Amino acid sequence: MSTVNEIPLAAESMKRPTAVTKRLLRRSSAARRERSAKVKIVLGAFLTAVVVLPIILAQVLPLPDVDAQAITSRFLPPFSPGHLFGTDQLGRDILSRVLHGGQVSLTIGVLAVVISGLVGVVLGALAGFFGGWVDAVVSRLIEAQLSLPLLMMLLLVVALFGPSIPVITFVIAIAQWPEPARLTRSLVLVEREKPYVQAAKVLGLPQITTLVKHVIPNVINQVIVVVLLLLATAVLMESALSFLGAGPQRPFATWGRIISDGQDFITTSWWIVTLPGAVIAILVVGVNLLADGLRDRVRRRKGAAS
Amino acid sequence: MLTYVSKRLGQSLLTIFLTVSTVFVLIRMAPGDPAYALAGPLASTGDLEKIRISMGLNEPLLTQYGIFLKDLGAGNIGKSYSFQAPALEVVMSRLPNTIFLAVLAILLAIVVAIPLGVWMAKRADTKRELGVNVLTIAGQSMPDFWIGIMLLTLFAVVFPIFPSSGFTSWSGVVLPVTTVAILQIALVSRMVRREVGTNMAAPYLTVARARGTGEQKLTWAYAMRNSSIPILTTLGTRFAGMLNGVVVVEVVFNWPGLGSLVVRALETRDYPLIQATVLVTSVLAVGVQLLIDLCYPLLDPRVRLGKVSVA
Repeated sequence: MSTVNEIPLAAESMKRPTAVTKRLLRRSSAARRERSAKVKIVLGAFLTAVVVLPIILAQVLPLPDVDAQAITSRFLPPFSPGHLFGTDQLGRDILSRVLHGGQVSLTIGVLAVVISGLVGVVLGALAGFFGGWVDAVVSRLIEAQLSLPLLMMLLLVVALFGPSIPVITFVIAIAQWPEPARLTRSLVLVEREKPYVQAAKVLGLPQITTLVKHVIPNVINQVIVVVLLLLATAVLMESALSFLGAGPQRPFATWGRIISDGQDFITTSWWIVTLPGAVIAILVVGVNLLADGLRDRVRRRKGAAS
Repeated sequence: MLTYVSKRLGQSLLTIFLTVSTVFVLIRMAPGDPAYALAGPLASTGDLEKIRISMGLNEPLLTQYGIFLKDLGAGNIGKSYSFQAPALEVVMSRLPNTIFLAVLAILLAIVVAIPLGVWMAKRADTKRELGVNVLTIAGQSMPDFWIGIMLLTLFAVVFPIFPSSGFTSWSGVVLPVTTVAILQIALVSRMVRREVGTNMAAPYLTVARARGTGEQKLTWAYAMRNSSIPILTTLGTRFAGMLNGVVVVEVVFNWPGLGSLVVRALETRDYPLIQATVLVTSVLAVGVQLLIDLCYPLLDPRVRLGKVSVA
């Protein structure tokens, strides 16, 4: 019945003259936002892939050994035969070091973000859903941590407990949990007032089931995007820690330490510092763009709720 | 008003208390002897024993905590063993340089980021804005120490316009301040864009526009003024993050602030010194945030009357 009615209507509207041209539609702010988001997502995904894929494949790619030193081929500039990124002060291949360093950084970053994301979602959801003293405690903790310059505290922890990969991962995770927690809490606060939560209550569902099975799935998309942004921060934080000398120790090549070691040779061999830094920047720009574009999109899907 | 002030004050004290406690727990939890950690590798067994007694390490944990708090209250964080001086004094002597750098950077960031953010909000999602938007994302994505080394190489080595390090003249300030400010400009301008964008789309602005209010007044007196509170809040919380950046950048430029101090402390395992840095920077960040929060009532009468709570 309805289909019968719609077809001629649609056909008619195509014939009817309208002031809304395709050009105007393309220039509308909604279409522009959509295009911006798309550009960011595509560009971000591309940049991330350019860095992440070689890092994952570092063992398979035909690269010189990470620690193979060669006195004869020190300070080779980029594009030397066999050394795309050149070599460093000990004749080690920089591309190989950057990719292997990337494995360390990415492992730490991903693990840290997963931990901080889990902790953040759990605490944030509990605080938002149950309120009361749980909320008071979690909120005060979040506020306290956000107002502190954590870097010194992290350095103290690393100094006390040793710069091993688990310690650094843990330290970064602890530094980052407030962000997803705060977001989850504010989203759950809104979600909690919606009718379906009441319905679940009437149906006799335990509160915790309502939270886990119904509320969290409704907010998790937005949180995941923010967690993706945290991955970018985690990579930067790890490189800063290594730069300050609190990163994973040798034999691991880490991005921060490649840069801090190469700093002394910057005037004669610019590539030792420039290229690894550029790789970090490309990865982090990529992840940030991707997350930013996705966030614009997720927010719009959710409509006025956020 | 009074409740607002006392609430904020309580929150700041709580934060400081949590920091102090965390430091205490960390030192006690760390593998090895905390007396050793405090006295350093050069201490004799007699020294260690003295410290153990003075720290009350054979007392119950709660008593130890009390002693720790009392020492802190007296400003006694221990002696830095690479400087052979009280750690707190060493940190305080370096602190002004760090604050100087931070303040200049935040001023530069505000001066650049607010017009930039407003422009982005008004031209949102045009091609040019998208370009600038991507640039600001790039600005917040580059490791700050790397930006520092790049600027240093470019403007002090290749084109020797500025001195490469030190604190000797005003031109030596340009590069470190710019380095710290780049990240802040990127972050603040994006925030301004978001806030002003929200306010530009608000109904009250449409009404004002319909009544014929000029575009400049709409932007600055209406949208910007209403955005100033969230922007100020974030600047307050951002200050802590900025201190982190300042510390890292200081190392690149050999700036005689906390950064180079903390790296040296890390190399020599100078725990009292790191501990003092943690406490001093925390108090500083919390103090700045408190100060900013206490400025709200001046900007927003709703806070003065206790009608809205500032998160």
